[in-house]
Amino acid sequence: MSERRTSRRQLTIGVLIGLAVGVGVIYWLGAAGRASTQQAAQQQTSLITLGSLVELVQLVDDDLGAVQPAVERFAAGRGDLAEVRVVDVDARRLVASTVAADLRGEDGEALELPLRLQRKNEDHKVWYDLGQELRAAVTANLDEGRAWKEEILVERDAEGGRRYAAPYTRDDEIAGVVLLTSSAEASAPAPRWALALGVVLGATLLFFLLSLAVGGSLSPRAHGALAVGVAALGLVAYLLLAVGDLDGERLGVESDVAAALDAEGSRFAEVVEALRDAEQAAVPDEPTADEPATDESAAAEPAAGAGEEPAAVAAEPVSALAAWDPAGVDPGRWDVDLFRVPRDVIAADGTIDGVRVDALFADTKNRFRVVFGLFVVLGLVLVAYIGLGYAHRTWRAARAHREAYAYVAPAMIGMLVLVFFPFFYGIALSFTNQTIYNLDEPLYKIWVGFDNYIEILTDVDLVLETEGERQVRYDNFYYTLLFTILWTVSNVTIGVSVGLFLALILNTKGLALRPIYRVLLILPWAVPNYITALIWKGMFHQQFGVINQLLQIVGLDPVAWFDKPTTSFLTVLTTNGWLSFPFMMVVSLGALQSIPADLYEAARVDGASRWQQFRLVTLPSLKPALVPAVILSVVWTFNMFNIIYLVSEGQPGGATEILVTQAYKLAFEQYQYGYSAAYATVIFGILLLYGTWQNRVTKAYEGV
Amino acid sequence: MSRRSGELPHWPMHLFLLLMVVVTIYPILWVFTVAFSGQQNLAFVTLPADPTLVDRLRAIMPWPQNVSAQNFVDLFSDQPFARWLLNSVIVAAATTVVGVFLACTAGYAFSRFKFPGQRAGLMSFLVSQMFPGTLTLIPLYIIIVQWLGLGSNYLGLILVYSTTAIPFCVWMLKGYFDTIPKELEESALMDGASTTTIFFRIILPLAKPAVAVTALFSFMTAWNEFILALTFLDKEEMYTAPVGLRFFVGGFAEQQWGYFAAGSIVAAVPIVVLFMYLQKYLVSGLTAGAVKG
Repeated sequence: MSERRTSRRQLTIGVLIGLAVGVGVIYWLGAAGRASTQQAAQQQTSLITLGSLVELVQLVDDDLGAVQPAVERFAAGRGDLAEVRVVDVDARRLVASTVAADLRGEDGEALELPLRLQRKNEDHKVWYDLGQELRAAVTANLDEGRAWKEEILVERDAEGGRRYAAPYTRDDEIAGVVLLTSSAEASAPAPRWALALGVVLGATLLFFLLSLAVGGSLSPRAHGALAVGVAALGLVAYLLLAVGDLDGERLGVESDVAAALDAEGSRFAEVVEALRDAEQAAVPDEPTADEPATDESAAAEPAAGAGEEPAAVAAEPVSALAAWDPAGVDPGRWDVDLFRVPRDVIAADGTIDGVRVDALFADTKNRFRVVFGLFVVLGLVLVAYIGLGYAHRTWRAARAHREAYAYVAPAMIGMLVLVFFPFFYGIALSFTNQTIYNLDEPLYKIWVGFDNYIEILTDVDLVLETEGERQVRYDNFYYTLLFTILWTVSNVTIGVSVGLFLALILNTKGLALRPIYRVLLILPWAVPNYITALIWKGMFHQQFGVINQLLQIVGLDPVAWFDKPTTSFLTVLTTNGWLSFPFMMVVSLGALQSIPADLYEAARVDGASRWQQFRLVTLPSLKPALVPAVILSVVWTFNMFNIIYLVSEGQPGGATEILVTQAYKLAFEQYQYGYSAAYATVIFGILLLYGTWQNRVTKAYEGV
Repeated sequence: MSRRSGELPHWPMHLFLLLMVVVTIYPILWVFTVAFSGQQNLAFVTLPADPTLVDRLRAIMPWPQNVSAQNFVDLFSDQPFARWLLNSVIVAAATTVVGVFLACTAGYAFSRFKFPGQRAGLMSFLVSQMFPGTLTLIPLYIIIVQWLGLGSNYLGLILVYSTTAIPFCVWMLKGYFDTIPKELEESALMDGASTTTIFFRIILPLAKPAVAVTALFSFMTAWNEFILALTFLDKEEMYTAPVGLRFFVGGFAEQQWGYFAAGSIVAAVPIVVLFMYLQKYLVSGLTAGAVKG
């Protein structure tokens, strides 16, 4: 009976903890999902503002001087816009800015708009580059005929606001860029933990009552199954609730976006009208014109202005501004994604297309479902683990061996956190498109499946043909792989043959000065390899390097070592050969010295020649020492980062890059963390294959 | 090889060995020459416009035109090399202390206790040696620099160096602990000593040579490490010696080969001496490990 009670207690605790973990994680994910949905809504609102601003700029852009007043009027009294700038990339001028600091020179003097962009000014350079980048993106998308590169750039800044950059056109050509920084809006969604708590406690209570009612007649196993069942029920119910919640949230934020769209439309009309009135400045009706809506409440008024005053158009159609027709305002075209493709979610009358919202979020939702599902499984495993007594058993083992575990724990924790976790995290990263720009995004959001692997492994075009010229693509994975193999094989061959040869000589009995030779020949191994690499880099210097001096003594021309793949390969090969033969020499020498002299004696008595002695006595005795040394040296050379990175630096054009240096450059020079992680995982796969193959070969060899 | 059955003549061997010795020590002499030249130049001498053969031969003779220790003086007075050296000492010393402590306790447990997960634990240490550095480098960078903000910080490097050194050290120490007879501890146990006392009073003193060798290896590895340091450190005053030496001659600024050479000598000579003394342990340890793996 007491066992039954223990089992019930264990099971109840299992259900409680398992549910708590499962529900907790789902709750946390749901909250994160809600927060990101709200952020997306904020971003969409900002994009709409940006769209309307771009339209405004295009409207007044005939006159560079007119942009600043228009922008000022647009931004007046708006708390959601921290900074607005308009940069005319064609004219290389800053034509509008709401930031006072922009209009102050280095010595504090006041500057006039439009302001000529200065090459030396870091900010100016950034703006100009952004403009060029956007122009390139738009052109590329036109050429490709699809939404390929983002035409609006978004960046989160340190204070929590976001910076946006969108292009504007003049006569259908990209003329410049509108830069907008939104204010930080830290509105975390309200926590909804009551439901989560309710599910956990409710399901636990349900199980406890069920267990009291029928538990006595159940076998322990059936009892466990009941626990898992109840827990599963609770988790799945909560999961469905959470997903539904998220759906509701999405529709909710879309209505916020719709409201913003509406408000932005009426604001736009007001601003334009005010500007137009100001243009016809001779007429003193400024008071009405000078009062653009100054706060949210005014903006929230229905778009009455949009259709009301078509009469004003009657003025002479000199400027685009004067010819402007309020009926032509269609805020719907401001509601675009980052490719400037309309989202088509909100109809003209402000209703939201639910199907379209679903379609937009389908991808994210599926990803959410998968992650949710994984955590449901985790919760159930926990229920089973604790409920069926494994937790108890683990606890008992831990107590019985607590001294041993205490001794192992520090090292084990360190290894888990800084070796095993990074390893698995790296593999997880390889399935994402993480770059330096989306480091804050959770992995499931940037999950791309096997895309990176497909990109790496299916790109088999080694040769690029442009205008009749054939060029090897040095950044191709297979080229680098072949080069790495060539690099490894030639290095190990050189290392083994030179090392073995020297060892055989040094093993000669009665050779004078043996210990001195030995010490001198080991030196290269002792020198730290980054120093070796840099020394050789200096010696291969084209103008002052001693190697070229030596060539000139022999009567040859100096060589530009790093300009051709073959000569560049020679430099790294020489460097690595220099530092790697001593290891093989020491290993071989040790093995040679342990061969008993009687073996040679016996061979001589049998009339074996010197070569036969070498082949039948020396080589077989060397094998046990040489084989592991060769295995090690293959792996070392394969991974010999420092030599390539420091001597040839992959020159020319990545031709002498090996896999590990290529992976490093992908990550830390091109900042493609996800892609580089996939690259590194492939390298790991290759090493693993090599390891198993090597193991099998060695075993088969030993078996004979 | 000749087929004669008598002794081979020694002089061709000496010739070959001498040639190899020249190849081996030339780069080392080169560093000393550049270091003691007193200038930042790669060339040993300035060649005349129309150099004769003698001039050219002089240009490859590893002896500076004017012997001067100015590079060493400047290295420590004008350049931040002393600081970099200090950084390296701090990081390598702390790595050694932390790494060896972790490895000793773990090695002791693996050698002396029987507990569930023992085999799995040992094997996992071995398997971890197969993880390629490049694969863990990106996550480590994200964890240490982006998440923990320990980029230009001693702690980041110390943590990473000491954990990556653990498996090798654990295997080495466990192997040595296994050779210490158990009877010693058993009698101590009889006398009522705790395992902690046994560990500190009996095992560690007996294993002093192995602990010393392990410590020296950890120190050397941390001292010579380049990639992680290059990746983590972005403040110049936090550079370790390897990153600093690269800084002299890499990159786009004027290359200062004299400082590099002088700095290399300062950073490498102690390590080379240590290595020459230790290499026999290294060979046996490495090959033994490879055979087991």
